[in-house]
Amino acid sequence: HQETEEEGSSGINAEYGYFIQTNLRMASEARPVALPVRKVIIHPVALFNIVDNYERRHDNNKRVIGSLLGRYDKGVVIITESFAVPHQETEEEVSMDMEYAMRIGELQKKVNTNLYTVGWYSSGIIINEYSSLIHAFYKCQCPTPVHLTIDTLMTNQKMKINTHITLPIGVKNGTEGCIFTPVPYTIQGAEAEQVSLKFFQQLRGSKKTPNFNDQEQIINCCDEMISQIGVVLGHIKQVLAGEAPADKELGRQIMEVVQAVPNLESDTITNMLNSHMQDLLAVEYLTYLTRQQLAVSARLNQIL
Amino acid sequence: MAAAPKHSPQLFESIEKVEITSQVIMKITRHCHHELEKQLDPNVNGVLLGLINENKHTLEVTHCFPLMNSDTDEGMEINREYMLEMERSLRQVNIDYQQVGFYQSTYLNTHCDRNFLDSVFDYLEEMNEAIALIYDPLKTKLGNLCIRAFKLSLAAFELYKEDKDFTALMLRDKSLTYENLFKEIPVVVKNSTLTNVLMCELDKVQDNTSFFTLPTSSYLEKSMQLLLGGLDEINQDLQKLNMHQRAVYKQQTQIMKHVQERKDENAAREKNGLKALPEEDFSKMFKPPPPVGRLESLLSANRIASHCEMIEEHVKSGIGKLYLADSFMS
Repeated sequence: HQETEEEGSSGINAEYGYFIQTNLRMASEARPVALPVRKVIIHPVALFNIVDNYERRHDNNKRVIGSLLGRYDKGVVIITESFAVPHQETEEEVSMDMEYAMRIGELQKKVNTNLYTVGWYSSGIIINEYSSLIHAFYKCQCPTPVHLTIDTLMTNQKMKINTHITLPIGVKNGTEGCIFTPVPYTIQGAEAEQVSLKFFQQLRGSKKTPNFNDQEQIINCCDEMISQIGVVLGHIKQVLAGEAPADKELGRQIMEVVQAVPNLESDTITNMLNSHMQDLLAVEYLTYLTRQQLAVSARLNQIL
Repeated sequence: MAAAPKHSPQLFESIEKVEITSQVIMKITRHCHHELEKQLDPNVNGVLLGLINENKHTLEVTHCFPLMNSDTDEGMEINREYMLEMERSLRQVNIDYQQVGFYQSTYLNTHCDRNFLDSVFDYLEEMNEAIALIYDPLKTKLGNLCIRAFKLSLAAFELYKEDKDFTALMLRDKSLTYENLFKEIPVVVKNSTLTNVLMCELDKVQDNTSFFTLPTSSYLEKSMQLLLGGLDEINQDLQKLNMHQRAVYKQQTQIMKHVQERKDENAAREKNGLKALPEEDFSKMFKPPPPVGRLESLLSANRIASHCEMIEEHVKSGIGKLYLADSFMS
C-alpha cells in the first residue's frame, strides 16, 4: 500500500476484513450443510472457454474470472461449461458484476437443462483475499463451489490447472475463516469430444481442414496402431530377455487383448467376411445407379 | 443485428473459406451430443458469432451459443429475447457479437428440407456472407469429425426471393439443378497459440478405438430406408408434374376445338347470310392450371444425392476395415 493513501487504504482494509468475515459467516449460516466433494471431472470445453476469455480480456485486467457450470453427482463435481463474468481488480479493490453472473447462470439453466453453477474459475495461480471474497459470493449460489485456477501465465513452463474447495478452519465463535484445499481432478470428455480433441491435436499450430475422407483416416489409425503394437512387442521382448521386471497386471491386460480376437474356423471367417463384403458392394452399386439417374433427370429438366 | 440488407453478388461470392476455432467446435459437439442422449433425432441448432476478414476472404467464427427448440411461437419469442440478452452480455466481455450464421445437427443428412432452406435464406438476407454449419454427430461418433459449411448459391438465392416455389421456367433460366442449389464452403480449423499450449496439456486425453467399429447393418439399413423415402417423394413429384402436363394438354385441345367450332359456325352463318359471331379470346375463358412448384423435388434430389455420397463413403471404409479384420483373424 502506498504511504500517501495510508489512511484511506487502512480504512478499506478494515472494511475488507469485516466484509470477509460477515460474508463468510452469512454464507456458512445460510448453508450449514456443505456437500462433500471428493473429485472433480473437467470437460475440455470449459478449459477452452477459459483460455479464450483470457485472450480477450481488457488490457488493465491481469486476471479474468468467470463461473463454472455443470452438475454434482455423489461427491463428484462434473464441470461441463464455463462463461466469463466482467470484473475489475486493482491492488486496492475488486469488483465483479454479480448480477451478470446470476443472470447468465439462469439463462444457461433455461437453455441447457440440468446445468447449474458449480463454482468459479480464475486465470493465474494466485489465491488471495479477493479470491475468498468471490468464493463467498459463489457459496450463495451452490453449496460447495469449486475454485479452478489455470495458469495462463505459464510459470514453470506449464499451464498448470488446480482445483480447490474451501473448508472452514478456525475457532468457533472466534476468528473463523476458510482455507482453500486442493481436490484431485481429471480431464475427461464425452466420446465425440475426444474425437474432436484428437483432430485438434493434429493441428499443432497450423490450420487444417477436417478431412472426411475415411480412407486416409484408416491409414492414420493403422499407423498409430502399428506403433502401439511395436511398443508392446518391445516391452515383451525385454521381459523375456530378463531386462525388465515382469508385471502381472500388465501381462494379464496383454493376454486380454490377444484373446479378444474371436477364435473361429477359417472357413466360417471367410464366409462371414465375403457375405458382408457382397452386401456392401451391392449397396454401392445401387447408390451409383441412383446417382446416375439423378444426373440424367437433372439434365432432362433443363431441356424440357 | 438488424443492419440494412445489402444484396450484392460480390459480397455473396466473397467468402472463400470459413475459419473456426476449436472452442466453437467443442461447444457445438457438446450441445449436439447432450441433446442426442435424450432423443434420436433432436432439433438442435444454435447461433454462430464471429467476424468477416475481407482481406483474406474468410469468415471467422469465434463463438457460438445454443438455442432452445423453437417449434412453437412462444418458443420463438423466448429465443429472440434470449439472443438479445446474450448479445448484450457478450459485448461486456469482449466477445464478438455479430451473428454470422447458425449451426444445426443432422441425422444421416436429413437436414436438407424446407425449414433449413428458410433459415438459410433468412440469415442470408440479413447478411450476405452468412453460412450454415452442419454437424453430423453420428459420423463423428464413428471417429471422423464431420462439420461442413453451406450456403445458398447466388442463383438459388435470387430465385427464392422472387418466388418461394420455383417453376420449371425459372430453373431453366438460371440453369439451376439440385447440384448447385447449395454451395459448400471449405472449413478450416484454427487455434490460437495459447489454445495450442492447452492442447499440449491435454495430451493424455485420447481415444482412438471408436474409429475401428465395423460397418454395422443398422447404419446402412437406415440410410437405405431414407434413400427409398427420398425416391418415393421424387416419384410423387413426377406424377404431379405429369398430371399438370396432361391438364395443360387437355386444355389446349379444348381451346382448339372451340376455335374450330366457332370457325365452322361462322362459315355456316355466312352461308346463311347471318352476321358472324365474334371470335372471342378463348384463353381468357380457360385459365391455364397453375404451374407445379419444383422446389420440393430439388430438395429431395439434393437429399438423395447426399445420402448416396454418405453410403458410398461408408462402404469404402467398410471394405477396408473388413480386410483389416480378416488379416487379424486368419
